Amino acid sequence: MTYARSGAGMFWEQTEAGLAEIRPGVSLVPDTFYSQPEWDVYRMHYFSSGNVRLSAWLSVPKSRGPYPALIRMPDYASVHDIIYTPLRHRAVVMNATHRGQRNSDGEVRASYPGLLTEGIEAAESYTLLAAYGDALRAVDALESQNRFDIGPIALTGSGLGASLALAAASRRPRIVAVAADTPLPLGLPSALEPGLGYPLGELGDYIRMYPDRSGRVEQVLSVLDPVRTAATISAPVLLSAGRFDRSTCPLGFAQELAEYLPNCDLRLYDGAAEGGGHEHAQVRTDWLSANLGLA
Amino acid sequence: MATKEDLEGFVTQVTCPDDFDDFWFGVLSELAETPLHPTVAPDPLRSNDDVKVYQATYMSLGGVEIFGWYSVPTRGEGPFPAILLLPGYKSEPALRRDWGKKGVAVLSVAVRGKLPSSSEFNPGYPGLLTSGLEGRHSYSYKGVISDCVRGVDFLHSRPEVDPERLYACGSSQGGGLTLITSALRPEIKGGVSGYPFLCCFPESMTMLRSYPYDELTCYERAHPDRSEQMLETLRYFDAVNFAPRIKCPMVVGIALEDEVCPPETSYAAYRELAGPKELWLFPNSGHGNAHDYPAQETAWLEQQIGLGQARTAGS
Repeated sequence: MTYARSGAGMFWEQTEAGLAEIRPGVSLVPDTFYSQPEWDVYRMHYFSSGNVRLSAWLSVPKSRGPYPALIRMPDYASVHDIIYTPLRHRAVVMNATHRGQRNSDGEVRASYPGLLTEGIEAAESYTLLAAYGDALRAVDALESQNRFDIGPIALTGSGLGASLALAAASRRPRIVAVAADTPLPLGLPSALEPGLGYPLGELGDYIRMYPDRSGRVEQVLSVLDPVRTAATISAPVLLSAGRFDRSTCPLGFAQELAEYLPNCDLRLYDGAAEGGGHEHAQVRTDWLSANLGLA
Repeated sequence: MATKEDLEGFVTQVTCPDDFDDFWFGVLSELAETPLHPTVAPDPLRSNDDVKVYQATYMSLGGVEIFGWYSVPTRGEGPFPAILLLPGYKSEPALRRDWGKKGVAVLSVAVRGKLPSSSEFNPGYPGLLTSGLEGRHSYSYKGVISDCVRGVDFLHSRPEVDPERLYACGSSQGGGLTLITSALRPEIKGGVSGYPFLCCFPESMTMLRSYPYDELTCYERAHPDRSEQMLETLRYFDAVNFAPRIKCPMVVGIALEDEVCPPETSYAAYRELAGPKELWLFPNSGHGNAHDYPAQETAWLEQQIGLGQARTAGS
């Protein structure tokens, strides 16, 4: 199977151009209900390409800044909540959403399963492509707000969130570290293997239903190929995967991706889509702390 | 990491209200008066050679329409054993076609508040856990639990389902709902409750600082005058109070490093189970991510229902 990769450059150019047309227009509203004794919680809103309004949860330590920051890119799910991380005490933590997710669904509401194939017959209609632009915009929004003094920024995410984090790091060289758990191999043949579980299995379902569109699907997805952009990521990457994963990040893909990332620490675990689970959560926290200067 | 001794030594302060059974009898009676109006619409995109998938709906408490993924084996004529798959707090209802392939019908429920069952009730995440906490009749989980109970009615309405072979399972909130639904509906013949949420609310609020339980802490901090009322409401929804009413075989799976649902609180529910019970402890595992749990869950259900045999018999 061959992929037309020439469209990727154009895709990213158009994505950046779409973002450049719209100012982030960040607003921050304190949420006293969910704020904690050690950190304040804000409901953050900003605008992405097409003037789509996005939401995020932002927590800010009550200690004096500047603060290192961690952006948690959204998983493949409708909800991206105020997830707990032990770094909240000392770092700004932003839980960003992409269009279609809860609280960012004014224009389009994503379904799960569904988002992975919604509009995939053409690049112009494929919602997921815009989600990649929204990931870049999350970084822009955090940097453009002027209420808090933000220091180095790291990205993290799992599944789709890991793919978004890697893509954002490739386009935003100021990112100092990426902790990517079980990224999706969108744009690579391993995403389309038959017999995969969800979420990747959604693509297999689609091609089985519409076999005549398989070439088009490959072409639309090709611009997202993370291996192609891996070499442009200058930040260190902590990459984790499960050896038996047959739904999210197949082992072969994780190994291939690690080879192309200039500064990658690949951790493999005897798990499936859950990757390293609890064991890796500890590794990730320590690694992010060190890379954000919090160790 | 919690140890088994920690679990065994834990004593909850949760007590059962005197009118607990009366309250839930009233809820079930109210539910029984609501027409089920089940619908199924084939979903060819999600279906395959082994499993036909339907988008199902039914009516629940307060006239709320509930969505579910309903998958039916294509091989064999049935009646098929069935599994009621109950959802986590914020996660999407899973489509378990692998179980359908083994000869089991599966209803995966999107309880109210979840997409696409959120048009009439949508408190959000966070938000669901504190919605209506002012009283047991207004509390969100009265509806959520009713939606699970109604899943049993849906499966009973299906001619291809064997009503004598009905099982339940789920993880996290789905684990708590598995316990609660099994207590309320004795038609359920067995279940697997993974990392159960909704256990020992007063202690779970304070033992860890993570969502969703932290929503309750936030509520208490915002409304200190309502703390007593909140805890009183939660007694009616605590899985520990449902556990003694469960008579079917039940497994409780606990991750000893669980940072979302304290292991001690899950064990408290396990300890109160009245029927045959099995405890799975996963050292060095956190919430929802024990490597061996999915395989053990499938194997246990396979053994209880005879998953492989069902397909062979029907072929």
